[in-house]
Amino acid sequence: MVEGRGGMTPRAIRASLTVAAVYAFFLIFAQFSFVELMRRHGVSHAGETTFLGMMAAAGIACGFFAARVAPDSCFLRAALAIAAVCGGVAPFCAHSIAFGAVALLTGAALGAATVWTAALLPSWCGVFWAGLGTGVGYAVCNIPVIFTSPPETQAMAGAVFAAIGAVAVPNPGEETQDATRTGIPVWAMIAVFTALVWLDSAAFFIIQHSANLKSGTWGDLHLWRNAAVHLVFAVLAGWMLSRGWLAAVAGSAWGVLAVAAFAVNGAETRHLAGWIYPAAVSLYSTALIAWPGWFSGARDIRSAAWRAAWVFAIAGWFGSANGIGMAGSLRHVPAAFVLISGIVVAAVLWIRRGGWQAVVSVVAVAAAAWATQREKPRSLVDVPDAFHGREVYLSEGCIHCHSRYVRPGSPDEAIWGAATPLDEVTSETPVLIGNRRQGPDLANVGARRSEAWLREHFLHPRLLAPDSVMPSYAHLFRDNRGEDLVAYLRQSGLETLPQRMRTIASWSPSETPSSDRGPELFLRHCAACHGATGGGDGPLAAKFIRPPANLIEGPFIWTADGPDHLPRIMRVIKFGIPGTDMPGHEVLRDADIRALADEVLELRAN
Amino acid sequence: METAARHALGWLLFGNLAGLWLSVLLLWPELGAGEWTYGRWVPVHLNVQLYGWTSLPLVAWLMAIYQVDASRVRRWGAAAVWAWTAALAAGVLHWLHGVTSGKIFLDWKLGSLTAFVLAQGILWLVLALAWWDRAWDWKPLKRWLGLAGLFGLALVPLSLAFASSPTIYPPVDRTTGGPTGSSLLGSTLFVVGLMWLLPRAMGIPGKTKPNPVAPAFFIVSWIVFAITEWIGGSHFDWWQIAAMLLLLPWVWLLPRDWSGRDWPAPCAPWRKAMFFWWGLLVVSGLLMYAPGVLDRLKFTQGLVAHSHLAMAGFTTSFCAHLLVLLTGRPLGGKSTVLVWNAAAFAMVAALATGGWLEGGGPSWMLESPVWRISVFAVRALCGAVMVGVAATWFTRWKSPS
Repeated sequence: MVEGRGGMTPRAIRASLTVAAVYAFFLIFAQFSFVELMRRHGVSHAGETTFLGMMAAAGIACGFFAARVAPDSCFLRAALAIAAVCGGVAPFCAHSIAFGAVALLTGAALGAATVWTAALLPSWCGVFWAGLGTGVGYAVCNIPVIFTSPPETQAMAGAVFAAIGAVAVPNPGEETQDATRTGIPVWAMIAVFTALVWLDSAAFFIIQHSANLKSGTWGDLHLWRNAAVHLVFAVLAGWMLSRGWLAAVAGSAWGVLAVAAFAVNGAETRHLAGWIYPAAVSLYSTALIAWPGWFSGARDIRSAAWRAAWVFAIAGWFGSANGIGMAGSLRHVPAAFVLISGIVVAAVLWIRRGGWQAVVSVVAVAAAAWATQREKPRSLVDVPDAFHGREVYLSEGCIHCHSRYVRPGSPDEAIWGAATPLDEVTSETPVLIGNRRQGPDLANVGARRSEAWLREHFLHPRLLAPDSVMPSYAHLFRDNRGEDLVAYLRQSGLETLPQRMRTIASWSPSETPSSDRGPELFLRHCAACHGATGGGDGPLAAKFIRPPANLIEGPFIWTADGPDHLPRIMRVIKFGIPGTDMPGHEVLRDADIRALADEVLELRAN
Repeated sequence: METAARHALGWLLFGNLAGLWLSVLLLWPELGAGEWTYGRWVPVHLNVQLYGWTSLPLVAWLMAIYQVDASRVRRWGAAAVWAWTAALAAGVLHWLHGVTSGKIFLDWKLGSLTAFVLAQGILWLVLALAWWDRAWDWKPLKRWLGLAGLFGLALVPLSLAFASSPTIYPPVDRTTGGPTGSSLLGSTLFVVGLMWLLPRAMGIPGKTKPNPVAPAFFIVSWIVFAITEWIGGSHFDWWQIAAMLLLLPWVWLLPRDWSGRDWPAPCAPWRKAMFFWWGLLVVSGLLMYAPGVLDRLKFTQGLVAHSHLAMAGFTTSFCAHLLVLLTGRPLGGKSTVLVWNAAAFAMVAALATGGWLEGGGPSWMLESPVWRISVFAVRALCGAVMVGVAATWFTRWKSPS
């Protein structure tokens, strides 16, 4: 537990406001609106890079300067006041020289303010309040009216935040004597923060420079959510840090950032990145501001300031620049980088406790895994390939929901088709019997479902199978995997088709009366293709080469009127029409089949 | 040993989180869109529970037997555990990326297989060095048994690599597509062997004279296993049913064997829980193997219920008992022990009920969303409770300073 000053006092609230002001000014002005203002005033790309470099250099230099002089509330107020002036005059800059001056002053003010704030915090409040301040700083910047406003307004908002911070800075408090020592060397923790900032900056750069990603994560509707996530996770980080869980906060931040870094690259996982990226940033930002004063093992405020200067210089400026540089060159976050950064973080936070032997062992195992890794097989040809489809079946873990074994002499045969010869199944490599049926058995699916039906079902499972627990596999169709899988399933049990036809011909419904659920069942099972009124115009109708039958007007090729047309309709409903896209509804009870048949006849009669 | 205990609890928490995520995906499948789908998370959940939570306490036990912590390679003992964890982490990344052998619980392939074999090699080397360092102070019998154990353990990585091969598959019951009764007998006898060995290997003093009945019956059971495995057959064949029936006496023999020993007091709650689950596991396993019953429950949630009974109930209790025994510290208070076991029982009961209904026809699973969702909701709720308990155990587990 981190001791002391945890309660809600006016000093703690002012400290929290100061943290919020520093973060908010940095985010909304230094990171966003200042860059936009330069672009609007025609500053060239080279000029922009130069001014941002000047800002970084001034920040690093003044950070070390701030550590050299004794940290003091008055100095901090002055730094925030200078920051406020920078934000206030930036919209009026018209020349490059003016932008250069603002960049220098902004960097200097921010560099000094961050170092002094981090060093003084433990003398003002408990670490929880640093988390709250971080969360408020991020949340405020994500409020839509601020985030989406023109850069001039944003710069003014930044100036207001800095001014509020200058007023809020608490008076000097007692010097903390008992800073918590984590036992993690300073250089090691700086390495962790560098890895985190590097990863964050790379993911952030990709989001910022990809229009479709940006809309997915930064869109107007998502800003309030981002603000809430930032606030909640920064507060959570503050609470965790107040219990001394620095490693847990930093480790969680890396884990979430790693997932976010992978998620931003895929369209279907972009929504996930939108949720978790702000969480990760808030977690590590809180740890970053709290570490120098509470967790670095600093003996006094001045010593904490030196640690703050180093961590902000290396992790903040260097990590950020490299992350942006990497993403700018590669346009994605390489898996290898995520893995290596993870090993660095884990090594510092946990493995280090096991001694150098543990580090050596982990590196050896990771290297062995990496060296013997091969790309999984992929189709190189355009034609669907059942062999590769089987690999996809395996790789996607289909066996965890689908069996491929029709038990001989069991009710399986009537539903899923001919019994599967055991020798045939066990001669496969690997054997794919499976042990669970969340969904149908797939041993003979090729004799029961058409290629088009399988494809549509992978894309929109719940349209064809209401309440199905199957997720969409649309992503498999962005490359060859989807068609390969369809090819594999289509040839599964195709040879049992003649036996299937005999089963269908010999099946007759039980005498169970209709369940009277016809209209409801029709909407659940038929409307997607045949339309809600049976006109053959359902939302999926256009997906099939041969349109679904018009159940009102016909023509009724398979179920023409005749003496036994009710059993024939029931057979079609239960087993489908092999060779066409009409699927069976094998799992429906006979009473439900009869109800559906009655409903279909009702449509025909009307 | 401490490192192994800590890592085991970490993997329990991670495995439970993965299980909870699977439960959530069954309720809201649309959350699983993208590459990391339900099918890729399942092996993560299964393997992390088996090779993380279940195996690492056994690793700790091995280290205790070979006195790694008292040897000059103590630091390498912790390193071996880290290597094990790194290999399992590599496995998790492989499974999530769809690199799988397709064999449930033997899902090691390419990089993950190499990593795991290497980790086991490092562990074996540590045990061998510890034996070399410590064995000269041991009695001759213990020294030679330790050496023999090392020879046996040297085969484990090779056996794992062999068994993970997609070309190897155990005998199949033609009528179900699942394992034969003799296979189930064999795998359970391994567990019986471990339970019989534990008090002896740990030197837990007995209050009564050694009873030869249990070892004799153990040997007979293995002979029956060998014969029935060679004959093969299904759950309709009397010899396969008889093989399974040989497990029934162990419901009484093992508690009797353990009750005659002076176990440390903190082990008591977990020992009681363990034998409760053990009895339930064997009796329900026998009932589920009965003709007609297995035919109804095969491929249903009934078998998922039995797996959870085995892992969340029995195995968890055994591993917790082992950790408490090895470290001398309780794992959670009585309340968390109770909450965990109650949640596990509720989950098993819900899944078993759902499985029985599902066995009446697939329409229950596919056409009764309300009932199915209710069962899955109970499962998720119990899973959330178990995650909370696992998190408590992990965060409150303090290493001795």
